[in-house]
Amino acid sequence: MPFLREAQNGDGGWGFQPGAQSRVEPTCWAVKAFFSRGDSSQADQRAIDQGLNFLRTSQLADGSWASTPEEKTGCWVTSLVCWVLAGARDEQFAKAIDAGLRWVCEDWPRDSSWLQRWVRKLRSADRISKQNNALRGWGWTPGTSSWVEPTAFALLALETKRAGELGELAQKRRRLGEALLYDRMCPGGGWNCGNPEVYGVAGEPLVIPTTWALLALREHSDQRENADSLAWMEGNFAKIQGPGSHALAQVCLAVYGREPSAGVDSAGDYHAKNESLRSIQAAAWTVLAGSDSQTWLGDRVRN
Amino acid sequence: MKTMRNRELIPSFQRPASRVMIRRAASYEQELGTLIYESLAEFGLAVKEKVVLLKPNLVGLDPLGVMNTHPAVIAAARESFLRLGASQVLIGDGPAMDRDTEAILESVRLREFAGPLAHMFVDLNVDDVQRVPLATRASRLKELYFPKTVLGADLVVSMPKLKTHHWAGVTLSLKNMFGVVPGSCYGWPKNVLHWAGIDQAILDINAAVRPNFAIVDGIVGMEGNGPIQGTSKACGVLIFGDDPVAVDATCCRVMGLRPEKIKYLASAGTMLGHINVDKIQQVGENIATVQVNFEVLAEFSGLRKAA
Repeated sequence: MPFLREAQNGDGGWGFQPGAQSRVEPTCWAVKAFFSRGDSSQADQRAIDQGLNFLRTSQLADGSWASTPEEKTGCWVTSLVCWVLAGARDEQFAKAIDAGLRWVCEDWPRDSSWLQRWVRKLRSADRISKQNNALRGWGWTPGTSSWVEPTAFALLALETKRAGELGELAQKRRRLGEALLYDRMCPGGGWNCGNPEVYGVAGEPLVIPTTWALLALREHSDQRENADSLAWMEGNFAKIQGPGSHALAQVCLAVYGREPSAGVDSAGDYHAKNESLRSIQAAAWTVLAGSDSQTWLGDRVRN
Repeated sequence: MKTMRNRELIPSFQRPASRVMIRRAASYEQELGTLIYESLAEFGLAVKEKVVLLKPNLVGLDPLGVMNTHPAVIAAARESFLRLGASQVLIGDGPAMDRDTEAILESVRLREFAGPLAHMFVDLNVDDVQRVPLATRASRLKELYFPKTVLGADLVVSMPKLKTHHWAGVTLSLKNMFGVVPGSCYGWPKNVLHWAGIDQAILDINAAVRPNFAIVDGIVGMEGNGPIQGTSKACGVLIFGDDPVAVDATCCRVMGLRPEKIKYLASAGTMLGHINVDKIQQVGENIATVQVNFEVLAEFSGLRKAA
């Protein structure tokens, strides 16, 4: 936490590293980390307030958020901000969240339009990767394809209570998004960015997309796909090499009530080894890994 | 003396001939520092007191060591540029499929070869960014955000691995520059580039960033379903040049492929550098003596040279 406290910029946001320009994504993770501490000191509450204010003032006129201060087109971070602002449980953010979630619901990926599916068939592109292109999740940027992480973040944002007021569209998008995640699971369990198989070769799962997919699908914990993916995570935990992945794997296993295997380096060991990048994101995820997930994952409601 | 980061687009017919050097290197265990230093010295690069950015191809977790630029080559190149007088030699990449760059660095064992990475490695996916309007407009993209570390370097050295690619045909020093496009803006993968057209996006990125040198790790390359799921292919070469287009064209010839049949290379050959063999001064090893035919997917069989 001291690392995160000291890295906050004067504008209330965080960069990806200390001293870097404030960006929406690391600010979201840092605020989540502060949320996860439960009762905040005055100083921490001030850090949270300033972070939330940075997020609120970064919103674009159409309700979305862009990845950089200069950019005027919203993208996947919109889901993340809605999820974080909802966690503040403060009515002053209601309008911002509503506008953001509306943008999320209306942001359809381009690959799954009927025209693109028809073009795909003409080009025999279905031979390259086997996936159900009728399913629609979310892309990283507007007008592109569905991918695992932005779909998982959108599903987490649409779990929040305010999403319940969006009605049928939000429910439809959640159903499609969940189905897409299951469709894009790697053979045997786990997720990578969203290529379960290319040219007949099975994709290798990765820790970070697997974590977010499993968190977004945690309501279906009895599904075979969840169990397979969790088994993959448990089986690979000891081989994880980065602090960010290590922290998220811990989060994932804890949310599903599992204990990480013994004999694995602690988070501190990972950060000592990986002194290289001084990542705000990895530090925030490490804080989340040491916290009760109820403090930051919650505010969920089934529509 | 070379001009650093000249972003002016000069039609190829007005360009002087380019120079590409092929050096044999049998394995990563051999002493690569001297070989790379001597090769770079021959190009007379004006790197004294300059900031050099090495851009390797770090694709993902690679336990078998066939997917990424080998750390021995990266570390030897870094040492060589420092010996040539560079004030700072940074290493930077923005992996496309996995956002845990630190895990990838651990996986490729870069620290073991290059030393502590704290002030040496830049994760280009999350670097501070700056908007750059695209002058070439080969794709429908009007602008891209690029990392400030890339835009601020005096010399950008593309350091790909010699690989085939299941969508672009080959991935060499030009395609390697996809890695400077920040994931924090465009995601993992940088899917907006696929929608803009891979071939066209390669041209736009290279015209905007203008890498001014290339070192290709062809000691062990990858053939078939590259850039991730292909199979390793020993080739035993390192390829150098101050015209990345000419370097890539030479790499294709070494792989037994025709550069003029690779769409983005053919276009790059009109505005970014040379692919015509008559305009490339070949030094070091002769192509014919090091040529190893790389397998390509059926879609790319037209790239093969006639037997």
